[in-house]
Amino acid sequence: MRNTLPVIIAFLAGIAMVISFFFNPERTVLGTFQENLLQWVTIVGGFTLVLGVFSIVRVNARAVSRRSDGWFYKLATVISVFAMAIPSIMPTSANSAFGKVFYSIFPISWAGAFGTGPDSIYDWLFNYVDSPMMETMFATLAFYIASAAYRAFRARSAEETLLLITACLVMLWRVPIGEALLRSIDVRIPDYINMFVMNGFNLSVQRGIIIGAALGMASMSLRILLGIERTYMGKG
Amino acid sequence: MGFWDKVSNIDRRWIYLMVAVATFFPMIVVMQFPVELTPEAVQLYEAIDNLPDSSVVMLTFDYYPSAMAETRPMSIAALRHMFSKDMKVVTVSNIPLGGPTIAEDVTRSIAKEYGKEYGVDYVNLGYRANYVAVMHGLATSIESIFKADFTGTPLKDLPLMQDVKNYNDIEFIFVVADNATIDYWISIVNAQYNIPVGGGVTAVVAPKMYAFVEAKQLTGLLGGMKGAAEYERLVKISGSATRGMASQSLVHFLIIFFVIIGNVAYFVTRKHEKGQK
Repeated sequence: MRNTLPVIIAFLAGIAMVISFFFNPERTVLGTFQENLLQWVTIVGGFTLVLGVFSIVRVNARAVSRRSDGWFYKLATVISVFAMAIPSIMPTSANSAFGKVFYSIFPISWAGAFGTGPDSIYDWLFNYVDSPMMETMFATLAFYIASAAYRAFRARSAEETLLLITACLVMLWRVPIGEALLRSIDVRIPDYINMFVMNGFNLSVQRGIIIGAALGMASMSLRILLGIERTYMGKG
Repeated sequence: MGFWDKVSNIDRRWIYLMVAVATFFPMIVVMQFPVELTPEAVQLYEAIDNLPDSSVVMLTFDYYPSAMAETRPMSIAALRHMFSKDMKVVTVSNIPLGGPTIAEDVTRSIAKEYGKEYGVDYVNLGYRANYVAVMHGLATSIESIFKADFTGTPLKDLPLMQDVKNYNDIEFIFVVADNATIDYWISIVNAQYNIPVGGGVTAVVAPKMYAFVEAKQLTGLLGGMKGAAEYERLVKISGSATRGMASQSLVHFLIIFFVIIGNVAYFVTRKHEKGQK
């Protein structure tokens, strides 16, 4: 029963979603069922976020308590989770029941600091701590790519040479000075790159990948609906 | 060790220094270059521009803060275009980290420039988990997915949302994304509900999108910072993407230079090694 019931639920929910696509959601029972099912999915999705928070706190708190390698960074992770989460879920007014209790203890002038709105603690932490850190991490990629370009991009074979030349042409085309340079050689070169490289070779290969992935996704969905694929239950 | 051997084994910190100089130099010595337009960017601009004034459009903020250099200017330019045409804008995000907050900050600051009022001219729905379900759910009822907006105000208290119940009330969806959510906006919302979708994506995501543009499932495309600069040129307001083009130009040239020098060094040293054998 532990195996059969989830498979039955997955089958019924999947089939209902497929069939209900063909019916008007406002006029049919199946359409209403689909709407309800989608609401459930978003609610379940919300719980997975809570589960994620619980999991990250538990794993990192254990490492901190055992003083394992890098425990200090794990402590920073746990503190960061709570520093972002707690102010954002505090009430921003005394309208709700929780708000009434909260602001009977704390001054109502604190309300602007809570929630996720402009000038809240969450907003400040996001704009001045989280966002710059993420941007910095991403920006360092440019340095690694430049280093990799120098050391690894080698024209060892005809295919590699073709790839290198194409990559250099596209890189030139994607920036104003490069495009101007290409136009100075022949005014049609940038248009040719767009037409033949991006809308030609690139497009055809991308389309092949997209169709292949879609077919794979369809077959995987079918396997789940029919109960052949059970890895989502933690079984092979 | 000969000259090319030294070049082959150059300390990577020199490379990093050169990239840093190429990035910062145009910020100190202001350089601006004319941005040429691609047909895909013009197509997107015209799709928005041809909508009747006061149309309701949806603008998505499906990107993490890490990609803001490329995507934020797209959102800003798009909002300027939309507000200049008195369009009503509904923003939404499928990214839990950053998306809704970026939407809130960007939309409020641009709305102030155009004297737009929250709840009447624009609404930020915020984020809900599981974007596939969200995209399907918005087709039947926005309120079934978003009971309240990003700041917790119930949708029934927002005048704009009294007229916007589902996709049928939205003329166009402008997706700004740095990840695969745009695939689902196309395959679910455009393909299944027939809502026109336009895209502004990071340079890494852009190549894949050409297939959808050609199939007319995506109405126009902005790719990377260059795409954002193109849209800034189209709306005639120069912004951070146009300014960033100078840095990006120099870094691209530098990387091409590295590729050439790296290859020359590789082949010269290899020839030398073969000669010794």
